[in-house]
Amino acid sequence: MVDHLPNLGREAIMLKEMGLSSIDELFSDIPQDVRRDTPLNLPAPQTEEEIIADANRLLGANVAINSRPNFLGAGLYENYVPSMVAAMATRGEFLTAYTPYQPEVSQGMLQALWEFQTMVSELVALPVSNVSMYDASTAAAEALNCAVRVHNKKATQKNVVYVIEWLPEHRLSVIENYSCGADVEIRTLKFDENGKVDLKSAESAHGCCAVYVEQPNPFGVIDENLVELKQIIGENTALVVGVNATSLGVLEAPGNWGADIVVAEGQPFGIGATAGGPIYGIYACTEKYLRQMPGRIVGKTFDDKGKDAFTLTLSTREQHIRRHKATSNICSNETLIALMGGIHMALLGPKGLQKLALRNAAACQVTMSGILAIEGVNLLFENGTAYNEFTVVLPGSAKSALDQLDRLGVTAGLALCDVMKGAEETWLHITATDQTTGEDVNAIVSGLKSWVSSLNEVES
Amino acid sequence: MSDLFAFDGALDAGYAQPAPLLSEEEARGGIPESMRRQSLPRWPRASEPELVRHYTWLSHRNFGIDTGFYPLGSCTMKHNPRVNEKIVQMAGMNDLHPLAPESHLQGLMAIFYEMQEMLSHCAGMDSVTLQPVAGAQGEFAAIRCIQEYHRSNGQGNRDKVIVPDSAHGTNPASAAMCGYQIIEIPSNENGRLDLDALRAVVGDDTAAMMVTNPSTLGIFEPEIAEAAEIVHSCGGQMYYDGANFNAILGKTSPGLMGFDAVHYNLHKTFSQPHGGGGPGSGPIGVKSHLAQFLPKPLVVRKEDEQGIDGWAYSWEDPVNSIGKVQQWHGNSGAVVRAWAFYRRYGRDLEKMSEHAVLNANYLRYRLLNPSAEKASKIPAMPIDGAPARVVKHEFTLSMTPVKDATGVSGKDVAKRLLDYGYMAPTLYFPMIVPECLMIEPTETESKEVLDKFAEDFLTILAEDPEIIKTAPHTTDVGRVDEVWAARNLVLRYPMD
Repeated sequence: MVDHLPNLGREAIMLKEMGLSSIDELFSDIPQDVRRDTPLNLPAPQTEEEIIADANRLLGANVAINSRPNFLGAGLYENYVPSMVAAMATRGEFLTAYTPYQPEVSQGMLQALWEFQTMVSELVALPVSNVSMYDASTAAAEALNCAVRVHNKKATQKNVVYVIEWLPEHRLSVIENYSCGADVEIRTLKFDENGKVDLKSAESAHGCCAVYVEQPNPFGVIDENLVELKQIIGENTALVVGVNATSLGVLEAPGNWGADIVVAEGQPFGIGATAGGPIYGIYACTEKYLRQMPGRIVGKTFDDKGKDAFTLTLSTREQHIRRHKATSNICSNETLIALMGGIHMALLGPKGLQKLALRNAAACQVTMSGILAIEGVNLLFENGTAYNEFTVVLPGSAKSALDQLDRLGVTAGLALCDVMKGAEETWLHITATDQTTGEDVNAIVSGLKSWVSSLNEVES
Repeated sequence: MSDLFAFDGALDAGYAQPAPLLSEEEARGGIPESMRRQSLPRWPRASEPELVRHYTWLSHRNFGIDTGFYPLGSCTMKHNPRVNEKIVQMAGMNDLHPLAPESHLQGLMAIFYEMQEMLSHCAGMDSVTLQPVAGAQGEFAAIRCIQEYHRSNGQGNRDKVIVPDSAHGTNPASAAMCGYQIIEIPSNENGRLDLDALRAVVGDDTAAMMVTNPSTLGIFEPEIAEAAEIVHSCGGQMYYDGANFNAILGKTSPGLMGFDAVHYNLHKTFSQPHGGGGPGSGPIGVKSHLAQFLPKPLVVRKEDEQGIDGWAYSWEDPVNSIGKVQQWHGNSGAVVRAWAFYRRYGRDLEKMSEHAVLNANYLRYRLLNPSAEKASKIPAMPIDGAPARVVKHEFTLSMTPVKDATGVSGKDVAKRLLDYGYMAPTLYFPMIVPECLMIEPTETESKEVLDKFAEDFLTILAEDPEIIKTAPHTTDVGRVDEVWAARNLVLRYPMD
């Protein structure tokens, strides 16, 4: 028996008032030839207690990343979100609201989102932020489309964007799908032997609409070359930078070294890895891109008595007004998760952000030095520095190493060949975070050591 | 006013963290000097007790379904069961990584599989992907699949997508993002699909037609099967916008109506809370001829004694997949909430739709049939947005007669409803209804709430027009100046 239908058992009274006698009459407008002739073949309704029991059983069969030493990250991170964040964000007034189309009764969410925009703006050092994209990949994809709209007229390489040559499929494929309608050609920016953008080859990008790079890059390398890039590609080409959001507690904000648009996965601020969603994409830019950017934006204004107020603004870019001429089709976004991110950022404060970043960096350095002490395991890029992840070359297949460590109760990272075209089977991507402990490091190091020696045994 | 940036505590006033594994100096030493951040962001400096008050204060200034009746047409603002929130907070959900080995995700994948099957069944489709994270992204992904389908048949020259003028703005926007030219056809004088207008524009350049049914007027399209036939006979595909799916579960399905592809809004029909603008979830279902193009991956299963209930689950990529539209496997948390919602109803999802439609028709009746005493005080009544004997889960009213008689606009009435403690209906959409209010009560509102809303709505119509035109009067702020906001663009807290 379903328990959330308050009018169950009162159908007849309501129908009678309308001069009707059966529910069927309410559906009499559906032509006979398109009607279902059999009821839904679904199980009986469950009670809350039965649903909880099934959820416990099914979700309990999963292996949570924080239940064991975990080194899997690659864009989605094991983190700790203070208890207060979800407690505040899931208050019913926030949780159960729709998009704040009526600002007079939505000041709370609007103000919280305007504060979020401010914190993102401060984080990346760019003046404008929207209230979220779906994730980092759609944010990157929409940033490139936005840049084409802004720059194509003056571009000497029309409809052309460049992206770094090593991108995981979950980024590149999204960019390709989103760009297909605008007839955008995607070319690649080569890396040098240190795993950084090759500045000489970057000259070929001069005069295109946009260049997309990441800091740190998909191998985990901090790319110092990027600060030279804006100079090389020129004023009329957008420098779009994808960042690890927490890294900006120690790494220079891209807005301070030439970035025109910054995108990021916001997840480490606000929510767990949550099987990949809901998470949120950060999208920030200079004023030049404001009128061509996607997504909702909150502005400050006044009410009819001159009192401070907030409202959604620049809606004339959006699909519900501009329809097929809109800057994007995005409507629902990830507002609530961005709210969680905003609360988390506010609670950390400036110094807390820095500390979080240093915890990530320290865990990464400890993990890296432990792993590099293993005979036969080397960094993919020997001269690379890292923030919270790095890539090593193993003396055997990364998948076989992952399998063996999994049996030992360690999630040791990601075989890059699973997500990146052209990656070697021996490349293992390892992530450490603020949640990585010294014991976790011991576990992965001893596990990898025993895997390496098992390889040597097979050989001898 | 509580001002986040006025918190001016010590630099480390906020959340205290455990010490790093290395000293801060050592950790910083690993970062190349040229890339080190020179100055920290100017964030608030506040402790948890201060921030809890701040966000609680903000929440009091926000209206959700929990606050009161939320008849926002097209958005299906039904009750959000709280157990669903409890479930997504479980460690076996909140702390999963989508790239973890399949053996770590079996329980989640079992839920995904069950949802793929349930959604396929309810819509009369053959295959479902849960990847798109919003209705608009579902539209985009499905139109991409249709695009690849035509290309694979050597018909990549089909470059037009047809939408009725009553369509949601996302439909033309999503098709345009795939590179299609949009052909908008006018509705007939009754607000229904105009088949002659359709016949006049279909041809061998038609890629697809996108239709919402029940339409955005809340009316079931009586000639939908014929429309599908017209489009199919020219080689085009039929796309179903599932925004209004809440009206028809168990009664009919997009498959029966002749559609080839559909998106579902789990944040509407299946109660994923909308969170003030998202997250959403927009899975798509397709007929078998489109299944090979779906975004990857899907969940498949095979029998396995060791598995959950005798099944082992794995990811599988459709052979000619368009690739990915979202970074991972979609908004898993929204899918799991929707699963918990669906389990609550099971086969009674049909009852859910019946009550959504019952409530909409009841409220429409009450709004358009005031008592004689009430009617005598009302200078002018709204009229039906489109003639209909019965509506589905929502309906439209045109406030034009009210505006003509008293100067009070639809927007004025919407704002006045805020004073009475209601969220306003959807305003000025669909655009084909002048002075439109679009009202969707959903199945989780009681008769008493509907009666009271109708009574209050009619009371407003009898009020002094000046009171209505200057509303709202009792909300946290008065009518907000949106024009000033757009002209002056104060988009962040000014610190410099």
